[in-house]
Amino acid sequence: MRTLAFKNPMYDLVIIGGGPAGAAAAVYAARKKITTALITETFGGQSIVSLDIQNWIGTPSISGIALAEQFENHVRAQEDIHVETGEWVSDVKKTDNGFTVKTKGDKIFETKAVLLVTGSHHRKLNIPGEKEFDGKGVAYCATCDAPLFKDKDVAVVGAGNAGLEAIVDLLPYAKSVTLIQRSDTIKGDPVTFEKLKNNEKVTVIMNAETTAILGDEFMTGAKYKDKESGEEKKLKLGGLFVEIGAVPSSDLVKDLVQLNDRGEIVVDHKTQASSLPGIWAAGDVSDVIYKQNNISAGDAIKAVLNINDYLRSRQ
Amino acid sequence: MAQVKIYTTPTCVYCKMSKDFFHKNNIDFEEINVVEDEKAREDMIQKSHQMGVPVIDIDGEIFVGFNRPALEKALKIGA
Repeated sequence: MRTLAFKNPMYDLVIIGGGPAGAAAAVYAARKKITTALITETFGGQSIVSLDIQNWIGTPSISGIALAEQFENHVRAQEDIHVETGEWVSDVKKTDNGFTVKTKGDKIFETKAVLLVTGSHHRKLNIPGEKEFDGKGVAYCATCDAPLFKDKDVAVVGAGNAGLEAIVDLLPYAKSVTLIQRSDTIKGDPVTFEKLKNNEKVTVIMNAETTAILGDEFMTGAKYKDKESGEEKKLKLGGLFVEIGAVPSSDLVKDLVQLNDRGEIVVDHKTQASSLPGIWAAGDVSDVIYKQNNISAGDAIKAVLNINDYLRSRQ
Repeated sequence: MAQVKIYTTPTCVYCKMSKDFFHKNNIDFEEINVVEDEKAREDMIQKSHQMGVPVIDIDGEIFVGFNRPALEKALKIGA
């Protein structure tokens, strides 16, 4: 591993995020000899929790963690790129010459350009009890935590593919799994749903809005509102998995660039440039329609090539 | 040498990251798989007051999740 001694130089580019977009951007930036720092908590992005990824091109099957290692190795194989892991960016500010990027550990990076590849995070229910019982029954990663719910009655909120996959992860352990879906349709894969529906451990409740998580030290149940009758009902539960989609992690630049109504950074899809010159975005944090590892990597590369043109034009 | 225990599940990515971190820094640790060991699962929940893995016990100090800076501090790595 070769990194620049950290003396707070002026960077040409700071990449924020270490998913497929961040890794691809770092490799291309290094090869273009752009003075770059990459700041990320960890490498891998959201797929890191996936047990098996079968659509990363060139690789028929790989676990999320192995893919994350490949990303990190590929980035660290580049010369003269500063890699800052285990750090979170807390602030991005516009300056006269570019931007100041500050981390939670109070490290400061001055840079001419910023590429935001921060991805997205779990959407929360925002109901009473959710925060209080986070980790005490309320969970967001069935792949990680399913075994801890052995012999418990659990619920999964959300019937997209992530929700259905959570049920698949939970079935070997849980005593029962109740699927709570807000609307009257199942958005996930119909083949998977048909299989799950016929499993005797699975109960499906449609048109139900989850309204509160109940408990004392740990969660003991949840309340939901039957949207047809308006009636509030209670379920006894030892766990509840929230799988209701993702929120783009665009908070860092929400006062600097244009976001759409979903909170995604609006970019020019030819260049990945945001509404503010000097800031680019790619991957799930941008307003790309299809959220995919391969697309994120490609879009981030597009951004770096455009950043390279931008930096040269300013020389 | 600090006594390090880590409570894990086989499918937990952050458990693997924590173990990799220990290996890289030559830290000896005891791994307890809470899927197989029901009593350890109860101990872990009691110690950490929550149900997520990994839970790391360093000389009685409890860490939930893989928090690299906190672990580095507790194990006096890179100090």
